[in-house]
Amino acid sequence: MAAKRYTSMAYASADEMTFGVSKYPVKAGLDLEIGAGYTIPEINYAPRPEAGSSKEKLVKEYERITTDIMSRMVQVGFPAVILETEHVQQMSNNPSWGAEVAHAQKTIMEEFHDEYGIKCALRHTIGDIRENRDFLQLRGDKYSVFLEAFEECAKAGADLLSVESMGGKEVFDYAVLRNDIAGMLYAIGCLGSIDMELIWSDISAIAKKTGTVSAGDTDCAQANTAMFIGGGLLDKNLAHTLAILARAISAPRSLVAYECGAVGPGKDCGYENVIVKAITGMPMTQEGKTSTCAHSDVMGNLIMQCCDCWSNESVEYHGEFGGTTVQCWSESLAYDCALMNTALETKNDKVLRDLLMLSDRYRDPQAYVLAYDNAYRVGQAIVKDGDNIYLRAKNAAVECCNIVEEGAAGKLDLSRFEAKALADAKASLEALPDDMDKFMDDCLTKYKSEVKVFLPENYGF
Amino acid sequence: MLDFTEASLKKVLTRYNVALEKAMTPEEAAEEIYPKDELIYPIAKAIFEGEEDDVIEGLQAAIDAGKDPIALIDDALMVGMGVVTRLYDEGIIFLPNVMMSADAMLEGIEFCKENSETAPVTKGTVVCHVAEGDVHDIGKNIVTALLRANGYNVVDLGRDVPVDEVLKAVAENNPIMVTGTALMTTTMYAFKEVNDKLLEKGYKIPFACGGGAVNQDFVSQFALGVYGEEAADAPKIADAIIAGTTDVATLRDKFHKH
Repeated sequence: MAAKRYTSMAYASADEMTFGVSKYPVKAGLDLEIGAGYTIPEINYAPRPEAGSSKEKLVKEYERITTDIMSRMVQVGFPAVILETEHVQQMSNNPSWGAEVAHAQKTIMEEFHDEYGIKCALRHTIGDIRENRDFLQLRGDKYSVFLEAFEECAKAGADLLSVESMGGKEVFDYAVLRNDIAGMLYAIGCLGSIDMELIWSDISAIAKKTGTVSAGDTDCAQANTAMFIGGGLLDKNLAHTLAILARAISAPRSLVAYECGAVGPGKDCGYENVIVKAITGMPMTQEGKTSTCAHSDVMGNLIMQCCDCWSNESVEYHGEFGGTTVQCWSESLAYDCALMNTALETKNDKVLRDLLMLSDRYRDPQAYVLAYDNAYRVGQAIVKDGDNIYLRAKNAAVECCNIVEEGAAGKLDLSRFEAKALADAKASLEALPDDMDKFMDDCLTKYKSEVKVFLPENYGF
Repeated sequence: MLDFTEASLKKVLTRYNVALEKAMTPEEAAEEIYPKDELIYPIAKAIFEGEEDDVIEGLQAAIDAGKDPIALIDDALMVGMGVVTRLYDEGIIFLPNVMMSADAMLEGIEFCKENSETAPVTKGTVVCHVAEGDVHDIGKNIVTALLRANGYNVVDLGRDVPVDEVLKAVAENNPIMVTGTALMTTTMYAFKEVNDKLLEKGYKIPFACGGGAVNQDFVSQFALGVYGEEAADAPKIADAIIAGTTDVATLRDKFHKH
């Protein structure tokens, strides 16, 4: 299907947005309705290293994980849960492996649903296997295996279909390590969006055919790479003002999934999801303080502000004092959701939303821009030129610069280094052309020569 | 909307990077430690600024003035890169500056080699790879750039590297160290196989591992494993090895932080 571009906002104002409520709730799995007035814990896990050695071991590992989570949810009295299985490469390269895991998990979830009435759904996030050892191979032989993995998992029991797709990553990895804002814009905003349109049209068709939910993508491969390289306040690998620019640019890229038939909930590690929710009104999963088992961030409370599902990113399955890791982390997530749901039921949701937001608002430029009021502004900049994938990404970046500058004139403290990186980036953005064709031609020439692993045919050029 | 006063904000969070920022700008700090030689200074400065064309121009001027191209690698390019890595280690400049300087340095080295008939001598060879089954290579790319920036010859095997290919590269290149990076819990298991095969073939060289899901406990499980939490640890481990610390237990004492 052709992408149906967003040129207006789903919400009339930022203040309309809160957690647990979306404009377009999604029904999924076993009696679950997402974004329909309550938040839902979404637990994510990784098998132990040795579990990948055979299909039998892998299926058994996921059976243990699923049983552990469902048992703990029931033991502590939580009404709903989503399980997210992010495929290890064996499960997507061999779609029958992924399908067997999905079937095994869903069987266990159905038993718990039947016995206790717990509402639940299963997300499978297919690995983006479209590459060989040397190059991305986005449209090559592996594309059919990639799509088969979605279809087989959907038929076997997965309710929500997602992926963390890689389009643009080869150029991004080069650009981000060289403070190259034009390269980041080209990689995420243009190459990423082109690839997203291809895959999400096909994934949405599979979801329609199998009666499952086309749930959405995340720019993990790029914006999260920037966030992780940026690290903490004292790390010296990337200015956080550049990390948030990558994030702002990732919003129009992740938006493409919803323009091609996805309906949410967007995937957890898309910190850009608050912007996407403001534009689409669709439910979103987020992760923050509860994903410290996987990585640190500088907005652990704030990012909870408008979530519909609340995730832990990923935790390796093993024992802890309080049970297995999936039991401990799902319980933490579910308690957070209980608090948010209490706020919703007692009409204190906006107070809690603002407390979560304010506690991190000035912690970092990344947090500042993703505060829901500023995120909404980035969304407005995107839809202003919603029909042009280049201009809307550039708009997002420029608006992000403006927001950080305004913050720095107030209570957002920036280091001189962060301020200089921002000023340099803004100057680079201002030097870019308004004409998309010119920008694309210039970048194609430049990166074909500078990035050995960049193959233009991956993007239909 | 709720908001803080300046006073109340300070009770909730501190941006330590702002509070502790060095007074000196990177350019001022670099200026203090550039070599003073009038032929070497512009090359070192061009390396710091990541200006490839200026590096070549400076090298050409030095060669025209009688300097030996191969000697210029150590006497100018590595000295300039030394300024960069020192300021990075001191927290004055950030990784992208190092990467751009490393690009300029590598171009400079190629230029020197093209203008000489002798081969340069490096501090040692390191074999780098991303674990079999894993295609996430940005961490490995940072490691190789930092190793080269510190004067090491790098045999970069790329990503998704079969275990036997690592062994073959070790046999052919006699490295002082092997590095392995991985993002996923399931792919990092390949490190154990690399370790076991290295031992089986009698290679007792340190195997420095790091990346996304990799942690110190996992790496400590195999005999040759040394965990590097940061990419910047790789050249430091290599420096320790060529300074005589080849024993894995001693390297762990020095580099394991947890």
